[in-house]
Amino acid sequence: MELISKILRKNALYLSHKCQDGNLQSVFSCLDVVWVLYDKIMNWSPELAQDADRDFFIISKGQATLALYPVLIEKGYFSMDEIAPQIGKFDSRYCIQTDLTKFEGGIENNAGSLGHGLPFAVGIANANKIKKSPSSVYVLCGDGEFCEGTMWESLIFASAKKLDNLTVIIDDNNSVGAMVDMGDMKAKLSAFNFDVIEVDGHDMKALEKTFKELKTLKNGKPKAVIAKTIRGYGSKTMIENDIWFHKSPNAEELDMLSKEVELA
Amino acid sequence: MRRAFLKRVAEMIRNEADTTFFTVDIGMWAIRDVLKEFPDRCTNVGIYEDGMFSIAAGMARRGLVPTIFGIQPYLVERTLEQIKMDLAYQKLGVNVIGTGAAVDYPKYGYSHYCAEDLHVIKAIPGCEFIAPGSAKQFIQLFNQTYRNGHPTFFRVSDHPNQNNDPDVEFGKAVVMQKGSKATVIAVSIMLDAVMEVCKGKDVTVLYYTTLEPFDRETLGQYYNNGKILVVEPEFEGSLTFDITKSFEGKPVQIESVAFPREIFRNYGTYEEKMQYYGLTKENIEKKLEVLIRV
Repeated sequence: MELISKILRKNALYLSHKCQDGNLQSVFSCLDVVWVLYDKIMNWSPELAQDADRDFFIISKGQATLALYPVLIEKGYFSMDEIAPQIGKFDSRYCIQTDLTKFEGGIENNAGSLGHGLPFAVGIANANKIKKSPSSVYVLCGDGEFCEGTMWESLIFASAKKLDNLTVIIDDNNSVGAMVDMGDMKAKLSAFNFDVIEVDGHDMKALEKTFKELKTLKNGKPKAVIAKTIRGYGSKTMIENDIWFHKSPNAEELDMLSKEVELA
Repeated sequence: MRRAFLKRVAEMIRNEADTTFFTVDIGMWAIRDVLKEFPDRCTNVGIYEDGMFSIAAGMARRGLVPTIFGIQPYLVERTLEQIKMDLAYQKLGVNVIGTGAAVDYPKYGYSHYCAEDLHVIKAIPGCEFIAPGSAKQFIQLFNQTYRNGHPTFFRVSDHPNQNNDPDVEFGKAVVMQKGSKATVIAVSIMLDAVMEVCKGKDVTVLYYTTLEPFDRETLGQYYNNGKILVVEPEFEGSLTFDITKSFEGKPVQIESVAFPREIFRNYGTYEEKMQYYGLTKENIEKKLEVLIRV
């Protein structure tokens, strides 16, 4: 695992420990995707956080919101010294889910309830078209989230409005393995007239190449990336024990899991 | 009222480049020209209320002024979580115009009835609820609010007042007459009936078209021994919290003329329903008499 992947995961573990809450399996499955977007793909930097034409990152799978802070810390927008003592506290602006009304930039939406972020992102992408803004929109969804009807409804709208400034990323960590069989997602998304690419969601080079390739396609078709990921990736314990879907580490576990990440 | 609204929308889309309009497959004929001329900002999205709220919220996030038009029960009940999460929680302004007020589709059954709309919207803090009593009032209230950055719900009735049409201001009650024996709250399209009953009587009549936020200050000035009659074309008790809060600390006796809290399983005409559920002059007169006497 690349050094940055280890740093991001260790910081996520630390924040979950400080907050005493979190969905770490889900955070670990998408961290590499979120990092590549912020580091290599999006027109975004701390200086551009309120720029009218910045790219937008919308988190639809709200249970992985904790992935945002480590990424924005590494990008220099937030600092660990500010977040760690505050996260989860009564009056804090930092917690397991975000509240954009407490921020001026950096946080683009409120997540938590599933099936909202994707249509919200579609609205932003549609507004970008109306405003003739070069801003692109990236939205991170869960594979299980596609059980929600609003997901499919918004795909119809995105396709009808030819939103080629929209990229839907599915963090395909096999959640639906435990739910209903969703069938062939690639075929389904293609049938909705999306350009679809499947990629290893932990291979940063492959992710970068995929996003860059899709960015060049100004063909009136919205984009979808099915990122094949592993829940808890980077920690053997977390991969093997589903209790880590919703569990935060105590001091001892923090130490043990951080060591696992270090050696991954 | 519906015609006035659609005319206003067409004008808005033509003249204001940051406005957008989405209809869930109704009212297209009246705005067919702008639908054709401005397809990017004026769209028939189809039968799609819940996701449309999230999409509209996304557009509001980018500084646009979205307005959605649809049928009231689908706009305020199917979409409840979108109202909560995407609009109220994120403090994003979307205008929601609903036709089919209460029992305006009298033959369609409970799927199309929506006397509970005000009660539902009042459950989500930060939303505004407006029930104009005439086309003129709709335009006045829409113009005052459509850019205010809040989720605003308009209840458009097909049965406006015919004889009473005062100018109205968002968030303010209109004092129609002053008296000392009781205070009558006339809501939206019930104003004509209330005025017919109350004219010449020693009672205060307050006319409300903004139901959330409710003008507690004006009501609070007309205590009249705590005798309050509320005449509202919604579920009974939708305004009780606001009325008691208006007189905090003082006892109030509330009588109401309103739709009962039950599933309506009848059909027939609008008039038959208003008669059956007692939203009539006769019932207003009767309730007022009892209130004053007891």
